[in-house]
Amino acid sequence: MTACSSVYRGMTRTEADASCLLTFKPIFTRALYNTQVDVVGKHLSGLLLLKQMPDSSTRLVFSNEMGFKYFDFEFSASGEFKVWYILPQMDKKAVKTTLRKDFALLLMQHLDMKKSFLLKKDGLFYYGFPQSKGNNYYITDSTCSQLIRVERASRRKPVVTAVMQHYKDGMPDTIGISHANFNFTIGLKKLKQ
Amino acid sequence: MCSPMRNIIIGIFFLCCSLTKLQAQYAGYKPVADMNAFKTQFAAAAQKMQTITADFVQEKNLGMLSEKINSRGKFFFKKENLVRMEYTDPFKYLVIINNNTVYVKDGQKENRISAKSNKLFQQINRMMVDCVQGTALSNPDFKVMVFESGTAYLVELSPVAKGMKTYFKNIHVILSKKDYSVNKLEMYEQSGDNTLISFLNKEMNASIADALFIIK
Repeated sequence: MTACSSVYRGMTRTEADASCLLTFKPIFTRALYNTQVDVVGKHLSGLLLLKQMPDSSTRLVFSNEMGFKYFDFEFSASGEFKVWYILPQMDKKAVKTTLRKDFALLLMQHLDMKKSFLLKKDGLFYYGFPQSKGNNYYITDSTCSQLIRVERASRRKPVVTAVMQHYKDGMPDTIGISHANFNFTIGLKKLKQ
Repeated sequence: MCSPMRNIIIGIFFLCCSLTKLQAQYAGYKPVADMNAFKTQFAAAAQKMQTITADFVQEKNLGMLSEKINSRGKFFFKKENLVRMEYTDPFKYLVIINNNTVYVKDGQKENRISAKSNKLFQQINRMMVDCVQGTALSNPDFKVMVFESGTAYLVELSPVAKGMKTYFKNIHVILSKKDYSVNKLEMYEQSGDNTLISFLNKEMNASIADALFIIK
């Protein structure tokens, strides 16, 4: 049973007002990120454009440096996900689901404050949001003034760990996404233009 | 409806149709009158072209997002099959094409891509080399049409190969009439997006060290 024990077990669970997290919700009016992707031994680099559209949807377009497009995704204002384009070689359900979940975690749309709960451990506050499987955690310091990291977790342990750092004009300068179950990391660095 | 009126309407309709047809053939350009003469002159100019050094400005247009992504850098070409594209702003990215091998270096990692293992990359790679080298006209991956204006030729390449066709609608190579060198490369995607690469401050046949194309 110990092997199955949860890293979140034993944390003090309390009701909490998670609305302080909204200060970390990125507002991607228009941002271009230099992007590095490492997936099971393969390396991809390129540019990720994030843009809020007039209908309040958010578009994510990833292309390589020479302009060759890998994907074009949309998260609508109501949270629906749409694939406008994906390179045929990447057009696999697992790839699309993983990317959708990873980006949804970062976009922080539709955090259901009513269902949220708070766990405390080692001076860190874990604001939890139940998902269909497991929870998403936004982990802050005890005053909720700094977003330490974000976790997409199964019931027992984090599946994805992400960071968003150095916010400027509502947009993080650095974003990192790392998967625990397989070798997959995404690194984003905002380009100065 | 009285018949003269009907005739006028039909006349206007056909006029509109023919105007649309004319517009489809690029404003300011007409089809090249003597294709064989063009091919001969183009081949002769390409023969003389040993190297090209240029600055380039790339503009990626994302139609639906009304967005432009601009970048720039240095371009080097050396016969037969050596290309170096070095993006310097707003990011660093280096592409070296050395015959069939493509070497890519981004901010963090170096990658060697065998163009053979990636068919689409191979086709794009070949197209780029063909365009600057002047052999694009005989590339079987494309249907070729050539138009001319007072100062330039527009070579329209319509992909026939499957991989290219699903991604690109067509590719325009704008050549200077003066020396048949590439002024601009316009790649139009099926999605409505496009990538435009302009070559500026071109210098022909300057000596370029082979080291620039060496893949370590």
